[in-house]
Amino acid sequence: MKAPRPYNLVAELTYRCPLRCAYCSNPLGHAAVRDGLDAETWGRVFREAADLGVVHVGLTGGEPTVRTDLAAIVRTASDAGLYTHLVTAGMPLPPEDLGGLVESGLRSVQLSIQDSRPETSDRFAGVAAFERKLAFAAAVRRFDLPLALNVVLHRENLEHIDEHVALARQLGAHRLELANTQYYGWALANRAALLPTRAQVERAAARVDAARREPNAPEIVFVLPDHHGDRPKPCMGGWGRRIVVVNPEGLVLPCHAAAELPELTFYSVRERSLEACWNAAPGMNAYRGEAWMHEPCRSCPERTRDFGGCRCQAWALTDDAATTDPACALAPERERMLRIRDEAERDAPALVYRGAPVS
Amino acid sequence: MSAAREELEGQLHHTLDERYHHRHPFNLRMHAGELSREEIRTWVRNRYYYQTRIPIKDGLILSKAQEPAFRRDWIRRIQDHDGNAEHDGGLSLWLDLAQAVGLERRSVEALEDILPGVRAACDAYVEFVASHDLLESVAASLTELRAGALMRERAAAWETHYRWVEPAGLAYFRARTTQAPADAEEGLRFVLENARTAEDQDRCLAALERKCQILWNLLDAVDAANARPRLARRAQLRNDPDDPMLVLPERAVRLNGSGGEILALCDGKRSAREIADALRKRHPDVQNIENDVHHFLAEMRRLGALEHNDRRT
Repeated sequence: MKAPRPYNLVAELTYRCPLRCAYCSNPLGHAAVRDGLDAETWGRVFREAADLGVVHVGLTGGEPTVRTDLAAIVRTASDAGLYTHLVTAGMPLPPEDLGGLVESGLRSVQLSIQDSRPETSDRFAGVAAFERKLAFAAAVRRFDLPLALNVVLHRENLEHIDEHVALARQLGAHRLELANTQYYGWALANRAALLPTRAQVERAAARVDAARREPNAPEIVFVLPDHHGDRPKPCMGGWGRRIVVVNPEGLVLPCHAAAELPELTFYSVRERSLEACWNAAPGMNAYRGEAWMHEPCRSCPERTRDFGGCRCQAWALTDDAATTDPACALAPERERMLRIRDEAERDAPALVYRGAPVS
Repeated sequence: MSAAREELEGQLHHTLDERYHHRHPFNLRMHAGELSREEIRTWVRNRYYYQTRIPIKDGLILSKAQEPAFRRDWIRRIQDHDGNAEHDGGLSLWLDLAQAVGLERRSVEALEDILPGVRAACDAYVEFVASHDLLESVAASLTELRAGALMRERAAAWETHYRWVEPAGLAYFRARTTQAPADAEEGLRFVLENARTAEDQDRCLAALERKCQILWNLLDAVDAANARPRLARRAQLRNDPDDPMLVLPERAVRLNGSGGEILALCDGKRSAREIADALRKRHPDVQNIENDVHHFLAEMRRLGALEHNDRRT
């Protein structure tokens, strides 16, 4: 089949990160992997991405600002004509060094915080980071870059919606992303401690609704977590469809968790062009389009909108990546998601943190 | 007064504190004396469309009322606007204002050059009243609770800052400083007496919120009309004629050909009208260009893709 045109490149520059978030969805055990691609190779990837039709690149990780050659990487992305967006925890890069990135062509920043309360934020990050993040946010605005604030939601911060919104306003963020925890990697180990209850989610949804109606409200992104919904999300806008991920080892993936799926072969930009990796890797084509779908997806009118949901979640919950995402009320393995819904109503065990920070 | 009634009254006032258009940037600039003559004229011309919708809205409210006493009171509003003879009443006073700011009375009366966004906002108000019950319709009218104070402030601000306007033209503002509070008290009483359940109270609050949004949208459209937009720094226009795209921090938007053309004309020097004029010259056979330009620019503004060269950013 002919591969569709990707618009967005997610460039994972490293697995290293100074934080130890208990909800991290990055693969386990990868923190020790060395950064696979140098700035020059990233430059080639960016040019090849632009040729494929990509217009926007998100530089992410791990924590992308641990790379000392970040400004050079930003420059190659911007020279390739890509809109260059940085996804960061706001450290270890000193806020004043942001100027170098702006000069290199950086256009926008998404800053993650763990909570809008300093003590919860630092507890979740596993290190004292909150004050540095605020200073970083101020620097982003000083350089007149658009700022999006990202908060990963879970049981312990889901009820602070008003404070998240107030902080976004205070920092001058044009967008607030209230992202549900993705239960892969480290987050899966902590699932029982992180899952929000039904009542929490309903209260949060009401507060988001109220905040959106305030005058001059930032754009607020919030969706129901899968275990309380009954429709699957159009994960990544469809497998290998609009978003191309290149991980720190150079593997080209439909999403950052897909490398964990068994029996899928993906290609690396270290051996092939990005175009070949995107178009021809068996793994990229495994769940493209609709041919792989079984019932009830195959004949479902929603399949062109939700693409059958998330393959990684289907695999994580059922050991079968080709089945309907159990987030869907029609899924044959729906029971698995309902069990998580029950798990969310139970008392939370203690959190387990990622190993010592690697920077 | 019962606790629930007091609470509802407090919430209605809170909604107005937060959302009434006295806080709109255009209104703040008006009262600070910062509007150009052209901006004043755009506002007066367009606001007249709102004025013409009020008696229609009040007619719809009358048609929902069961009580003769309610109708006797409420019909006075239509008389206030339409008068009891020609050249009498609020609509006519507004046309006096239009003349005083240098507009042609007949052109304003004929609703010429009403901005699409203003038309949409005002029509949305009539549509709201047509499709909701008496209680919600009256609740939506409670923006009048603030109109008296706003009119007083406005009359004073105009006398101070816009001396080029004939003072006789300000009669409308003065008339409303007394009419609006009387109307509002009557409306408030009705809402407090008839919103009996928590659900009724929520409906009333939502109706008032909706009305505030409509007034806000009206000023948004007026504010945008004289602005000279340019592409925001955060936005990247990829004007490949075969596939124009707009790229923003978190999204890429595929444009059609005319979208790319309009954005390319957003140079910080042209107003929306001048952009439409430029397009009309290039495409003389296309209908409704001005409308399309306004809608497109409103959408682009919503996405944060545009900035303005003056103080409005």
